Amino acid sequence: MDVTAPRGLARVFSRDHKVIARQFLWLGLVFLLVGGLMAMYMRWQLAYPGRPAPFVGVISPAGYTTLFTLHGTIMIFFAITPILIGAFGNFCIPLQIGARDMSFPTLNMLSVWTQVAASLLLTGAALAPSGGPKAGWTAYPPLSTQLGTPGVGQTLWTLALVLAGASTTMGAVNYLTTVIRERAPGMTFFRLPLTIWGLWLTSILNALFVPILGVAMLLLFCDRAFGTHFFLAAAMVRAGGDPMLYQHLFWIFGHPEVYILILPVWGITSDLLAFFARKPAYGYRVSVLSMCTVTLLSALVYGHHMYVSSMSPLLGRAFMVLTLVISAPAMMLVLNWIHTLWRGSIRLTAPMLFTIGVLFVFGVGGLTGLYLADIPQDVYLHDTYFVVGHFHLIMAAAVFLGSFAGIYFWFPKMFGRMMSPRLGKIHFWLTFVPLFCIFFGMLILGNAGMQRRLYDPSVYETFRPLQKWNKGLTHIAWILLAGQLAFIWNFFWSLYRGAPAPQNPWEVGTLEWTHASSPPSVHNFDEIPTVLHGPHELNHPQLTGKDWLGQAEPLPGGREPGAREPEEKS
Amino acid sequence: MVGLLPLRPFDASLDGFRNDALFAITTLMVSVLFVIVCGILLWAVVMHRQGRHAAVYERGVGQRHLLFTGFITAVIFFGIDGTLLVDAWLDLDQALWRFPRADEHPVEIEIWAQQWSWNARYPGPDGTFNTPDDIVTLNDVHVPLNRPVVLHLRSKDVVHSFYLPNFRIKQDVLPSVETRLWFQASAAGVYEIGCAQHCGASHYRMRGLLTAEPPADFAAWLAAAAADAARKYDASDVEAHWGWPWT
Repeated sequence: MDVTAPRGLARVFSRDHKVIARQFLWLGLVFLLVGGLMAMYMRWQLAYPGRPAPFVGVISPAGYTTLFTLHGTIMIFFAITPILIGAFGNFCIPLQIGARDMSFPTLNMLSVWTQVAASLLLTGAALAPSGGPKAGWTAYPPLSTQLGTPGVGQTLWTLALVLAGASTTMGAVNYLTTVIRERAPGMTFFRLPLTIWGLWLTSILNALFVPILGVAMLLLFCDRAFGTHFFLAAAMVRAGGDPMLYQHLFWIFGHPEVYILILPVWGITSDLLAFFARKPAYGYRVSVLSMCTVTLLSALVYGHHMYVSSMSPLLGRAFMVLTLVISAPAMMLVLNWIHTLWRGSIRLTAPMLFTIGVLFVFGVGGLTGLYLADIPQDVYLHDTYFVVGHFHLIMAAAVFLGSFAGIYFWFPKMFGRMMSPRLGKIHFWLTFVPLFCIFFGMLILGNAGMQRRLYDPSVYETFRPLQKWNKGLTHIAWILLAGQLAFIWNFFWSLYRGAPAPQNPWEVGTLEWTHASSPPSVHNFDEIPTVLHGPHELNHPQLTGKDWLGQAEPLPGGREPGAREPEEKS
Repeated sequence: MVGLLPLRPFDASLDGFRNDALFAITTLMVSVLFVIVCGILLWAVVMHRQGRHAAVYERGVGQRHLLFTGFITAVIFFGIDGTLLVDAWLDLDQALWRFPRADEHPVEIEIWAQQWSWNARYPGPDGTFNTPDDIVTLNDVHVPLNRPVVLHLRSKDVVHSFYLPNFRIKQDVLPSVETRLWFQASAAGVYEIGCAQHCGASHYRMRGLLTAEPPADFAAWLAAAAADAARKYDASDVEAHWGWPWT
């Protein structure tokens, strides 16, 4: 099979999943930097209220609302989603399941360019002459309607989200189909790498729930642009709808969204722990079923975002019970991770350090969820920094540590060069420690009662003594920012000067490492492999000479590793 | 150490202790769990490293392994989540959602939130809302000690959230439907009312004061405020007649 790389425009508007993955990665990394810098300016304002910030001068109250609105929107829809789902999804799915490309390559190309269009709209929204979007990333009406936030900025923001949602939905449909239809011979569902399971379950949630966000945003757009009253209360206009309708639509999407972002990280974490502990992932099927259960439950708990919104007590109690139930499958997954590490032969590579970091921050992030699942505790902690700390531990700390683990791990396959492990480890410590401290500090501030989205918390006498904490967290944030220089330098240096990557630098058995070159050829595999066993056959007792077994490699001496082991007979 | 670590603001309410106790027991349970799990994790990372420990091939799929994972999960789930659920349920039944009955003679106050202040309305001597003798205040709510207070809340514009850190409660205030909240002050003092829901550029300034005072002082304030309200009443000022019937 002879396929040459396309040239010119065909290369830019490529239908090759590997090129699209890299395009998503660039998009996501650029916006990660932008969103991160916005966070730095918010931290500046919290530490030094009203003092001129470097390069931009004094941040106004309205400017601050724009900052936190854009920070949330960018990080979720324009940084995490493109990196985690766009880049890793596109790169890993065909290569790990043994396919030559996605099921719908053209749709895939459209998906990335729709995301580009959404990014341009969002940039337009941010730079709108009448001011950027100001209603928060949740954009509750009536604040997000013309009554609360007039101006074209907020309107463009709703359209940017509609487009970003369309891009994600296109990707989701493609990933779903690809995993179902394009698996190599022998690649059964229970032989898929857990990364693929995470991405696949995420795609199910994306396909089901991102359109609901699209609906909410379109209705909001109609309210803003055409004078409809879907989300304006009857008391405010002559014939009205209900602002609560928006909150329901938003959180029906919004809670699954949290799992949309964390499921790929769980998958990557599960695989990388096994790879670098040099053991099979402990309880593979239990992990898969736990992730499936969480996926199902994630659709049934959204009401816990609305305990103080005005909710029937019966509904509130039901959501409380369902939310607590999610901790059971999550606990099983964590137990399996610990068990995978136990009695391993752990290689503390850069990706492995980031993966272990995920366990810590996800632990704290998950456990603080127990407080917020609880109605009485949530009534006090809701809309305080406790919530901010909690969801950042998961959606920022765990998700970005997991993303970095993925980048360090797949960079050699993506770009054909090795990254510097030394800089990677420096980057890890300068990321993990500050992230953990900042968000744990936010938990403490929230427990002290401080609300989120305050331009200047010292307006409240109660929170004036917390000012030194706000300052301290800001200083830690600077360390975090400085630490990212190690990554940026490492990324670009390795891109051009890194040592050429061997085909399988990590010595693991999944197809992208065993059957594709680094970087893979346009058609991925010279011959589609026939898969014989699961993704983590490491240190099988029958192996000699090396400790890993390719997924398509026969076990020396025969016998299928999937068969029950003698030591495990009960 | 206590001085360094910010703790919760002073608890001025009858039922806030429930919230603090629930927080304490949750923190205790999850901290123990976290320390144990992290201890095992760190032990594995340090002691079972390459060169120090050879990997043991173990797939963890046998019945024994499943039972082990299931058993540990069940212990943690029913232990921690069960305790939380029972405590929370009792808290809801006994305090948060147990609104005072009429024979407990609660103080009734209507709160009308707007960008960026809290209007409060007391029914005045006639006990009926939205009549000329109503007492209307801005960012200034007075309540007597040791008597339940019921708030009915509505918003004029966007969604706000009425937040009393010293009473461990908050409730969103909506333009579409009335929401309700109750509390009982147990310590005299002046406490802050905050807005907890982003409501625009000056959200951070939407701060009011709640004065909890002995019943005699409250009665005196009420009488003075009633006289003041009667003097200032203006039938033509329609904007000021925002009250609604108490139901």
